[in-house]
Amino acid sequence: MIAQSFEYSAPDSIAEALRLLASHQGSRVLAGGQSLIPMMKLRLSGPAHLIDLARIAELNYIGETNGSIRIGATSTHNQLATSDTLRQSCPLLAEAAARIGDVQVRNLGTIGGSVSHNDPAADYPAALQALRAQVRLVSQRGERTLPIDKFLLDAFTTALEPGEILAEVIVPADAPGLGSAYLKHQQPASGFAVAGVAAQLGMKGGKITTARLGITGVASNSYRGAAVEAALEGRPAQDSSLAEAAGLAAKGVEALSDVYAAADYRAHIAGVMTRRALQAALARAK
Amino acid sequence: MKVQGEQTLPLPRRAAWDLLLDIDVLARAMPGCESLVPAGADEYDMKMNLAIASMQGLFAGKLRIEDKNPPASYRLVIDGNGRLGFVRGVGQLTLSETPSGTTVHYAGEVQIGGLIASVGERLLDMTAKMMIRRFFAALEREAAGSSPAAAR
Repeated sequence: MIAQSFEYSAPDSIAEALRLLASHQGSRVLAGGQSLIPMMKLRLSGPAHLIDLARIAELNYIGETNGSIRIGATSTHNQLATSDTLRQSCPLLAEAAARIGDVQVRNLGTIGGSVSHNDPAADYPAALQALRAQVRLVSQRGERTLPIDKFLLDAFTTALEPGEILAEVIVPADAPGLGSAYLKHQQPASGFAVAGVAAQLGMKGGKITTARLGITGVASNSYRGAAVEAALEGRPAQDSSLAEAAGLAAKGVEALSDVYAAADYRAHIAGVMTRRALQAALARAK
Repeated sequence: MKVQGEQTLPLPRRAAWDLLLDIDVLARAMPGCESLVPAGADEYDMKMNLAIASMQGLFAGKLRIEDKNPPASYRLVIDGNGRLGFVRGVGQLTLSETPSGTTVHYAGEVQIGGLIASVGERLLDMTAKMMIRRFFAALEREAAGSSPAAAR
């Protein structure tokens, strides 16, 4: 189908984009268009005005300063997956980006678009929850920075307010010696995570000193695997600790159910993927 | 699709019952509800504007309250149609007194069909759960607003 007709603007600065967003009723921000455009073509979505961020050069960068990696909102999944900065200082995020969709989606889809859409089966949220990422939001009223778990509120729901654009994602550079991994069991047709687990482990003297976990696809919103983290820290860095803690991956979580995966199965797979992600992270930790 | 769960409201059972049958409260608490207009005994014409993911659509339909057994239980029936498809829901609400207020137990069946279901099957369960969460979160806010009156 062909989308309903709409106005289209392609501003070349953030200030101009914010001005357009504030002054046009029914306008929506377009990033890579990998979720919004299909919905428009199915006529499930019909915004009156699209504000395309693609030409705003000041939103496209990946850079590291003072132990933080700053990623501009229009950086594509492919840019993240192949970034030397990320591969060196935060491989977990590069690995999650590399697992998104297919080549075409990764070439066009952006981190800002994906995070603002907050599909509960998207890959980034797992890594961003594990990494304790932050997001910087801008509007004509100014800017604010939120921790990721205060930004991703519920399925397809974020803390973005009218007139606000997600400008930047900030993740800490890995401390030396940390090992990480992102693994998912995916819906074979769509590639969306049935259970996706991002894990980061640090150890010292045979004991686990740092354990961080983010889980996506299992519930209505991504979440931090806080119970698993607590069960790992201070324990011996061996398989039995990992397997035991992984059993807590979906504890207290209301798992989703759809034609592909029933709730019980999803919760079980969350545990399996958690164990494997922890094993892979541990093997990479020094 | 089956839905069930429970939520506790910080109100005595009678006050919780009144809140759950106050049509203005329901209109404010139901996600996307734009209007609820009486159309017969315990029957209302409903307009909803639902936005989920990047989809958005108007639904028009009926809301009915059946088998009223105050202040313990009633059945809520919703039937709506729109360009995006249709929504039908039947839910049994049971109120029981607890030390911290009133626990509202709900159990029901939601059917969503048409275009929205054919392209968004993956989204239906999470959407239904999110709408129920939002409904009860809004009811809790309403309950907090009405508690001075309830204590009187």
